[in-house]
Amino acid sequence: MFTIRRILTAFLLSALLLLTACTSAPPSDFQQAQQESTERGAKAVSKDAEKGGSFNKYFPKGQDNYKVVFAQEKKGFAQAKIKRGSTEVAVMSISDISSTPNAAKKFDQSTQKIQGYPVVTQGKTTHTLLVKDRFQVKVQSRDDSFTDSDRQNWLAKFDLSRIAALAE
Amino acid sequence: MSKPIYELVDELPEHNMTVRVLNALDFVVPGEWENIVGFKETIRHVTGEEDEDLIQQIGDRAVWLYNDKSQGYQRAMWLYQTVDNVDSALGTAALANKVGEKIKLFGFLNRLTPKPDKAQSIDLALKLVVELLAFCQINGIPGDSIGDFVASLSDYSGESLMRMSALICLDALIPLGPDFVEKVQSTIERINASEIQGHPVYSRLEGVIPGEDAENKLGFIGESFNSATGWMQGFVEERDLSRDRILNNIGGFIEGADDKLDYVAAFLDMSTNYYEHTGTQTLAKRLIDRAFAEI
Repeated sequence: MFTIRRILTAFLLSALLLLTACTSAPPSDFQQAQQESTERGAKAVSKDAEKGGSFNKYFPKGQDNYKVVFAQEKKGFAQAKIKRGSTEVAVMSISDISSTPNAAKKFDQSTQKIQGYPVVTQGKTTHTLLVKDRFQVKVQSRDDSFTDSDRQNWLAKFDLSRIAALAE
Repeated sequence: MSKPIYELVDELPEHNMTVRVLNALDFVVPGEWENIVGFKETIRHVTGEEDEDLIQQIGDRAVWLYNDKSQGYQRAMWLYQTVDNVDSALGTAALANKVGEKIKLFGFLNRLTPKPDKAQSIDLALKLVVELLAFCQINGIPGDSIGDFVASLSDYSGESLMRMSALICLDALIPLGPDFVEKVQSTIERINASEIQGHPVYSRLEGVIPGEDAENKLGFIGESFNSATGWMQGFVEERDLSRDRILNNIGGFIEGADDKLDYVAAFLDMSTNYYEHTGTQTLAKRLIDRAFAEI
C-alpha cells in the first residue's frame, strides 16, 4: 500500500511539474529591464538632459538627391530621416548620454576620429561619434545603398563644434 | 500596471481577421505593409542588425523608454487601444476558426448593428484625432500641433500609411460613401456638446482631447478633421478608390458583401482592430529607433 502511495505521489508530482512547465511562458530576455525600469523612482531620461529641440539646428541639411525630414524630438534626443525619393535610406540622431552614461564606454575602443572626435561602429549599420563625453551623434543605414563611407561623410556634416559648445 | 512593450509586440497576431483585411488592402498602398510581429523580430527588421547582444541592448533601452511615462509612449499605446476596443463584440472568438475560409456575412446579420451615419462620422473624426494625438506623443511635439501632423501625412509610410488607408477605406468610404468628407463636416457642425458626450468613444477619449470643455473639444475635433480633408481626398483620387474596388478585394473572403454595405462596415468594425494592431507596430518602431540611437 505504502509503495503504491509513493508511486502515486511521485507520478502526481511529475505530472504537476510537466503541466506547469507547459503552461507558463518562458521568461522574456527583457524581463530584467522591465523589472528595473518599473521600480519606484526609475527614470529613463535624466532631468539634466538637454532639450531635444536645441539639437535640430546642428543636423546636416538636405542636399543633391537627399532630403532631411525631422522625426522624433524628445528630452535628450532628436532624430531625422535621410530620404532619397520616397525611400528612407538612413537615420541621424543626436542624444545626450547623461541618461545613458554606459554609452561612453564603447569609445574606449575607438581607433578613428572625425574632426578630432572619437568614432566607433555599432553592428553593421551604424557609425557613432562622441562629442565632449556628453553628446552622441549617430548615422545609421536603413537601406543597403547607404554605405559605410556615406555614414562617415554625413557624420562630418553635423555642426560638431556647436554641439561641443552645448556641453560647456 | 500596463503590459510590457515586448509582450504587446510578441502577442501581435500573425493571422487573424485584422491581418486578412489589411492584406486585402495592399492594392491601395502596394508593398507598404508587412505584418512584422514579435519584439526581437521587430528590432531586427527596423535596425537590420542580427547580433544578439546588440539586439538585447536595444530592447532593454526600449523597455526603459516605454516604461518612463513622461516619454509619452504609453499614452500613445493607450490611444490606439482605446479607439479600437469599444466595439469588439464579435471579437476573435466567433471568428477563431475562420482563418482560412470564406466568411458568410449572412451568418452574422443578426449580431450586427449597422451604425447610423452620424455615429460613424464621429467615429471617423475621432480616429483621425487619435492619430494626431498619438503622432504628437510618439514624436515629441505639442499635442495640438495640427499643422505638423498634416504636413507629416505626406511622409507616412509602412504600417502608418496602411493604417490611414484602412481608415479611409473601412471607416470612411464603405460606411459613408464617396462624400464622406461632407458628411463628417456637417455632422460635426450640427452636433451639440451633450450629444457628443454620449458617444462611447468620445467619452473615453474626452480627457485627452485638447480644449477646456466639450464645446472647445468639439472645435478641436472639427479643426483636426478639416485640416486633413485635403490629404484624404487627394489619397482617394490618386488611387481611384471606390466602394466597388474595395469590396472587390475584400469580397475575396467575405461572402454576400456586395449589397449590404452598412453590414459589411459593422462586421469589419466588430471583427478587426487595425488601429491597435498597426499602432503597436508604429510605436514599437519609433521606440526601437530611439533606443538604438541612445545606446
